Amino acid sequence: MDDFLWRAILGAGLLGAAAGPLGCFVLWRRMAYLGESIAHMGLLGASLGLLIGIAPIAGVAVVAVVAGLVMARANNPFIPSGTFIGLVGHVGLALGFIVLSTMETVRADLLGYLFGDVLAMSPGDIYAVAGGGPLLLGALWFLWRPLLAVTVSRDIAVAEGRNTAIADIVFLILVAGLVALALKIVGALLIVALLLIPPAAARPLARSPEAMALMAAAIGALSAPLGIAGAYVSDAPAGPSIVLAAALLFVVATFAAGLARALERKR
Amino acid sequence: MTDPVAKEPILVRAEDLSVSVAGAPILEHVSLAVRPREIVVLIGPNGSGKTTLLRALLGLVPRRGTVVRRPGLRIGYVPQHFARDHALPLTVKRLIEVYAPGETGAAEAALARVGIAALAGKQVATLSGGEMARVLLARAIVHKPDLLLLDEPFAGVDLAGEAALYRLIAELRDEMGSGVLLVSHDLHVVMAQASRVICINRHICCQGAAGAVIRDPAFVELFGPRVASELALYAHDHDHRHLPTGEVAAPANGAHAHDHSHGGGHG
Repeated sequence: MDDFLWRAILGAGLLGAAAGPLGCFVLWRRMAYLGESIAHMGLLGASLGLLIGIAPIAGVAVVAVVAGLVMARANNPFIPSGTFIGLVGHVGLALGFIVLSTMETVRADLLGYLFGDVLAMSPGDIYAVAGGGPLLLGALWFLWRPLLAVTVSRDIAVAEGRNTAIADIVFLILVAGLVALALKIVGALLIVALLLIPPAAARPLARSPEAMALMAAAIGALSAPLGIAGAYVSDAPAGPSIVLAAALLFVVATFAAGLARALERKR
Repeated sequence: MTDPVAKEPILVRAEDLSVSVAGAPILEHVSLAVRPREIVVLIGPNGSGKTTLLRALLGLVPRRGTVVRRPGLRIGYVPQHFARDHALPLTVKRLIEVYAPGETGAAEAALARVGIAALAGKQVATLSGGEMARVLLARAIVHKPDLLLLDEPFAGVDLAGEAALYRLIAELRDEMGSGVLLVSHDLHVVMAQASRVICINRHICCQGAAGAVIRDPAFVELFGPRVASELALYAHDHDHRHLPTGEVAAPANGAHAHDHSHGGGHG
């Protein structure tokens, strides 16, 4: 097998493992919409990075963090926050598209920014994921209890004197960081799939938040070799294939959990 | 007053507390204090600001005025609403431990004290309303709080269970020496345990011992003579009336004597 395939499997696998536990909180806190808009803003960040000549991944990280913080503070009495979040995200998508289209040399890579180009991962991209993924997971582990407290009941956490602001802000930064790592691998339009599908697959198998996070990490990591193998044999694009592999694991997990419950009832 | 409670240090004191939402006043100029070992019951019609008052004391809504807590005050809070999320796998024991880390056996002890030791391993999302109410009380008392703030804590509990739970709160108060501030609709059940009743309708209408408050014209005005006479078989003239907007109309008859005080700068 070629080097680029191993790089793709390693990079996408690490990303999936990091996205799973982070995605659990996105699921529990019902932040899918926010995650999607952060990802769309990531496209603008990447294109701005290319425009001013810095690494696209740095542009994504900066713009995604800023956009996340702005959207999380959305507090307009006349517009539901979901609407505002969608507005910001789509402005990011549209602007990012326009900025990219002004650059002749990258116009050909447009599909890669939207749906990922995992087979084109450079050693530098791998180092970014290999360093960034564990960093995100470590930060999440460190924040686990305060994040869980504010997720279970924000009112109780605040009332009983926990500092919820730090957990909220760091969590947004982690999501933005994941978006930056994932843009190259699955693209701006499919990042949220990696945040949502593995946790959703893990949910019926788990009885504790920690078990669900670990299983989501495993399912996310497993989606990478499955998806890339599928892309290899069918010649389909790799990023979308990884997402489809995660969806397949979701179907399998859901049926397995249903079967296990049915057997338990029979006994 | 010769009440021994009056000599105790104040747990929490609010002075001239006001809350507005989008420019509309919800609470105006409310002052109150809670001391150890007293059970203060907040009563008032729907929309009178009872829940907002509790949330303002806890810093959960923007407020004007001052709230002073005894330094190091430990608070146990039972919110009016608690969202049970099927996406989050969480046992009852774990729910309690999220907010009370590092105390082995404390969660089990709290559950046993509320009489629901058998629920420890059950998933939170599958609890009935009555079970959830008891779990939230167990959670609130796990760290032996100095002040218990309970917002309609037993809304999902049947009448007999409710009376038992209010007796339990009085026992817990004796065991832990806590002060209790309680919002409730169920006047009959609550009155038996209250050391003090505060009747609120945007401002404090009247307050005092339960037996005195139910004879207060402001109480009769708020709850109607039928409720008042059921509770007291006694009613007399009003000192102020509320316009449909909730504002106080010009006093009709201010001359009456009670063994309790009127708040709110009128009467």
